Amino acid sequence: MAPGHRRTKSSGPAPPARTLIIDNGAYTMKAGFSSPASTSAPSVIPNCMARDRERNVYIGSQLSKCKDFGEIVFRRPVEKGYLVNWEAEKEIWDHEFFEGKAPLRCDPRETGLILTEAPNALPQLQTNCDQMVFEEFGFASYLRCPAPVLNAYNDIQAMFKAPPRDPTKPLLPAEIILLIDSGYSHTTITPLIQGRPLQSAIRRLDVGGKLLTNHLTRLLSLRQYDMRNDTYLVNEIKEACCYVSKDFKADMEATWKGPKGDRREIYETAGGIAKDYILPDFHKRTKGEMRDHDPGLAGKLKQLQSGKAPEAAEDILTLRNERFTVPELLFNPSDIGMRQSGIAELVMDSLSALPFGLWPGFLANIIVVGGNANIDGFLWRLQVEIQALAPTECIVRVVRPADPVVSTWNGGAELAKDVDLLSSMSVTKQEYDEYGAAWVARKFGGDPNWKW
Amino acid sequence: MLNFGVLEVANSTVPAAPGWAYVPDVGANASMSALQPSRSKRMRAQIAASPHETTAKQDAKILRELTALDRENHRDVSIPVPVRHRDNAGRVSHGKVTPAVRKILQSQKTFANHLADYEALSVINSSLPPSNQPVVPSPATPSTPHPPSTSKRTHRKKDAGAGPAPTPLRRVSAASEAATPAPIKSEISHDTPMKDAPILSLNSTAEPPPHPEDNNPLLVSWIPQLPTQEEMEKLLAAPPLSYNDARGPWIPDDMRKPVRHFCDVCGYWGRVRCMRCGGRVCALECLGVHQEECFTRYGA
Ligand SMILES: [Zn+2]
Ligand SMILES: [Zn+2]
Repeated sequence: MAPGHRRTKSSGPAPPARTLIIDNGAYTMKAGFSSPASTSAPSVIPNCMARDRERNVYIGSQLSKCKDFGEIVFRRPVEKGYLVNWEAEKEIWDHEFFEGKAPLRCDPRETGLILTEAPNALPQLQTNCDQMVFEEFGFASYLRCPAPVLNAYNDIQAMFKAPPRDPTKPLLPAEIILLIDSGYSHTTITPLIQGRPLQSAIRRLDVGGKLLTNHLTRLLSLRQYDMRNDTYLVNEIKEACCYVSKDFKADMEATWKGPKGDRREIYETAGGIAKDYILPDFHKRTKGEMRDHDPGLAGKLKQLQSGKAPEAAEDILTLRNERFTVPELLFNPSDIGMRQSGIAELVMDSLSALPFGLWPGFLANIIVVGGNANIDGFLWRLQVEIQALAPTECIVRVVRPADPVVSTWNGGAELAKDVDLLSSMSVTKQEYDEYGAAWVARKFGGDPNWKW
Repeated sequence: MLNFGVLEVANSTVPAAPGWAYVPDVGANASMSALQPSRSKRMRAQIAASPHETTAKQDAKILRELTALDRENHRDVSIPVPVRHRDNAGRVSHGKVTPAVRKILQSQKTFANHLADYEALSVINSSLPPSNQPVVPSPATPSTPHPPSTSKRTHRKKDAGAGPAPTPLRRVSAASEAATPAPIKSEISHDTPMKDAPILSLNSTAEPPPHPEDNNPLLVSWIPQLPTQEEMEKLLAAPPLSYNDARGPWIPDDMRKPVRHFCDVCGYWGRVRCMRCGGRVCALECLGVHQEECFTRYGA
């Protein structure tokens, strides 16, 4: 994708009055409207169809009505970060945007669309998107772009505590940022110059929130309860309890029980690392809760369970090294046998594809977005590891926006406020009808060597 | 020390087999090869240098586990689109369904299917002569190659021939206020670079707005040579990498580091290997727990 220069539109239809921005993630989509006049906060909508153990089916935002997440199963249209299954996605989009009672109802013929995709998408999947957007939904105009790109339209300087940008000046994308997007499916590293991705340096780490949750599920199922049919719960446990260690070896020692017959005193609390997670029973307790580990509790639980019906007792998981060995995979994927380097090494691998003169600019402007950016300790560790690998003369600064989950969407909303800039980057329905899908693919920066 | 059917592996090196042992019995599984791809050029070069040689059995186990970690649900489930949406009652009509849309909506291909299609087509495409490349129609409006001459460029560079001047680093971070609109290519290969407007405005003569770090001596201690306008144009025009080529590598420095193993039972360092299944445990206590399980799974 290439943001176009400002041009004066003398012909063609006027741009639509408002823009629907969909950051179409695998776990949630972030969606809402923006126009020069107004922007409201985006809705974060589960991008899935789900079925609970009573066989009720939930579509997208309906999931908030679900009271019992035990054994719930999911169908997700976005697989590996890419929109693969349009049958399910259309069902969700219809429900959220087009049906009579849709929460974000709009008439696509009068609405512009900004739709994100993960970098390095397959051309066929891109064309499927373009065809659905124009031939099925009929949006008036459309911009498909890699999600990292939109972040360049946020006020980056303010994130780095520099004076905020002047709102009276025309919108310009951030000059130089290294955007790390760590989501459900994977983690991508995208260097951007003035909002344009340097494609040859984009790198992907195949570690994302799903893999972390599944890994935690495996550990808990091997060591405590079988949680394999409760990954929704395990995801909540992960979000509540997991952190990136500042000193992996030290934390590992602190959580070691010690040899048999010589239990180490530190083990029970592990210097504060040990935590109990009270599982929801979906009767009295609908939401789980993390507490400091209570060594007496596990014993009490056994007594309770032996005397009373099992539901009378609280189900408690105690987490020790699971808290930090799980997010550690972002930094050491080889811990589970993956043949990939961690995120800091991949940042340097990305830079190695670029002229040395650009390194200081990228290293001083690293922004982390996506759900994993919320994991405690992630930014600190990333900064330290990159600093250790970078040339010593380089300043390394790693920041995250206030809400890393909706940052991409916010950038899209900023872009949509600049009607001229957005329409120079977008394709109109008229252009699609006239020039066809292959032309649209080119306009959005697809591989020019790809032949259908 | 008595050998309890275990092998101390803390300091031992696994005997090396030449090359990378790909797992024969699961090699055809597309979703697995997406997890541990062997085809990318960059990957292949590094694998050859890897000191971490593993047996086919170990590789198979890792791949099995990685495949499990990639699953959406523990069991296979099918959640069909509710029937009420298949008829027109209550369904939003987006107008006539075109053949392309019908095909897309009916497709139940997975990502792995699409990736396999892409790879097959890439082979065909790369064998075609370049002259077969279709000419893309270039409509007048969106592909106008030059910015209008009235564009508000406030810091036009005077001397196009001069190389980019070295700039204190702080301008890298504080320069966007002073940034000039760059000549943007709205389409690859349809326009010519504008010689007079730098892509990076780091050499702008305008003072950037004050920044708290302005007086930090660290930030002016190193002055890098910025790429030329030509280099930048080339970088920005580069086409996207394929899905497989964008996968981050296992860099040689990392491959040389010892792989960390963890106890299957408690998660502590896995210093001891079970001879029966190859699983790791930390010490005798966890080995006891592990072996109970191992007996039931593999037999005594
Ligand atoms: Zn152990
Ligand atoms: Zn064993």
